[in-house]
Amino acid sequence: MKVEKVEFDALSRIIGHLNAISVGVKQAIKPERITTEYPRERRKLPDNFRGLILFEKDRCISCFRCAFICPANAIQMELYDNYYPSIDYSKCIFCHFCVDSCPTTALKQTKIHDVAFKDLDEMVVHTDEMINPPELLREDKITVEYKINGKLVLERKREVEDLIVDVIPVKRIEYHSACVNPQNCLGDALCALICPTNAITVVEEEGRRIMKIDTAKCTGCGLCVRECPTKTLGLVRREG
Amino acid sequence: MYQWEIKIPKKIHDTKFFGNLKIEVIDKGICSHCGTCATICPVNGIKVEDKPIYFPNWEKECIDCGACIKVCPRWDYKPLNGIGDYLEILAAKSKRFKGQDGAMVTEIMASAFEMDLIDRAIFVGRDENWKPITSIVKDIEQLFEETIRGTKYSFADVMPRIKEVVKDYRVGVIGTPCMMSGVRKLQQESGIFNNIKLAIGLFCTENFYHWQLHEFLLKEKNVEMKDAVKTDIKRGKFIVSLKNGSKVSFPVKEFDPIIPSGCEVCQDFAAIESDVSVGSVGSKAGYSSVIVRRENAKKVLDYIFEKEYAERGEVNIDAIQKLCEFKIKIHPYPPKH
Repeated sequence: MKVEKVEFDALSRIIGHLNAISVGVKQAIKPERITTEYPRERRKLPDNFRGLILFEKDRCISCFRCAFICPANAIQMELYDNYYPSIDYSKCIFCHFCVDSCPTTALKQTKIHDVAFKDLDEMVVHTDEMINPPELLREDKITVEYKINGKLVLERKREVEDLIVDVIPVKRIEYHSACVNPQNCLGDALCALICPTNAITVVEEEGRRIMKIDTAKCTGCGLCVRECPTKTLGLVRREG
Repeated sequence: MYQWEIKIPKKIHDTKFFGNLKIEVIDKGICSHCGTCATICPVNGIKVEDKPIYFPNWEKECIDCGACIKVCPRWDYKPLNGIGDYLEILAAKSKRFKGQDGAMVTEIMASAFEMDLIDRAIFVGRDENWKPITSIVKDIEQLFEETIRGTKYSFADVMPRIKEVVKDYRVGVIGTPCMMSGVRKLQQESGIFNNIKLAIGLFCTENFYHWQLHEFLLKEKNVEMKDAVKTDIKRGKFIVSLKNGSKVSFPVKEFDPIIPSGCEVCQDFAAIESDVSVGSVGSKAGYSSVIVRRENAKKVLDYIFEKEYAERGEVNIDAIQKLCEFKIKIHPYPPKH
């Protein structure tokens, strides 16, 4: 392909220069920049922003789901009075699968994205350090909101945004135990032995064993399902 | 379903169910050491090791569920014998694998993996002293290992290993006739064992405790099992091939003192209750006889010949029939002594 030099005539050159000067004058009087002056300004982030993760001990049931699901293997369970998660931020990819998988919203997201660590060891954030948000030195006075109305508009407000987000607690799905594969049952009654609320009862009669689940007493903890050696029991959704 | 019921078997003796099993089967000496009871035991109490089946501290730890009695092939024992029902009998030799004879057991299992019929298979390997070590095979590559080839003539804990995989995977099992009977009983008892998708039976006259076989060969025949490369039974003779190329052979009859009493009441030579039975009897050297008994095994065999993984040979059904009858003769039930 041949490249040709474009020749302008004198008139179009003058018009070009005038246009450039007019843009310069306009921006000098009323600037239209789309950057924020961080840290004096801070961009307003959406509520579901995936930032630093906080932990609420009282809600945690030590189910290990966060540790199992973490694709970067950043979560280790640490033993206190029970097992609680710790996060290695040198590994964390901020996918927030842990937050999403937590059945009791014990892990919660924040909008904090500017935390500095002195070294790699410090990046392992232990459970006790996850309960309170880290100390932040905030210089920002203005919150900038990006809005698109045909074109991008930056709305500046003189306010300081709270970086801690209130979580909407999830609605827990209630389960109870049921016999899903009666043909698998060995009649070993291990389920009845392990049931913490005595919801499963076994009555022995002449030549047969009658097993019964009292769904009103069952809390849906799933211990019997895990204990059963033959997958006889399963958890089903509680009706109503 | 919130209420269901389970039949429990009748007790003969007024003790826990394992106690009944111990008195009626193990202590009577008719236990075949198949390990089916250990497979089903919900509390993992029953142990299958190189000695008679036992349950340490059963008086306390047995939960008295009766599952072991329900699946024991020797509880209320009626011996099976003869060649059994079959769809087809053939002789074949694997082109891919090397084994005891035609390596058809490995071939059938490998093809079942290829056909996506099973996810896990339980094979028996060995240590340098030929002590059986069971291993759970996940893919075909593992089947090319040398130690899983060949017959070991010793009890192995194949059945209890089923428990580790049967909940989550489709399983292939290889075993002696008593194990095959155990598999069928397990499947009758609990639906979870329908995950055993392929059961390959082996022709069997007797099996030994490893330590007894080891000691016998060392003391009577001056053979160190460490030096052996192959053990075999051909024409009534036990043959040990050694690393230095020499062979030691002697009549199987000499084993009589170490035959476990449980094997002495067994008349099932051709693994009647298997999906497919394999053995050397009835085919030429280097070939295996294969008795196809069920549809699932037939599909695997059809696949093998379609892909030309194995070549066919001549089979002598009369020879198999003769050994079936021979086993009935040498193992009368009820026993004479």
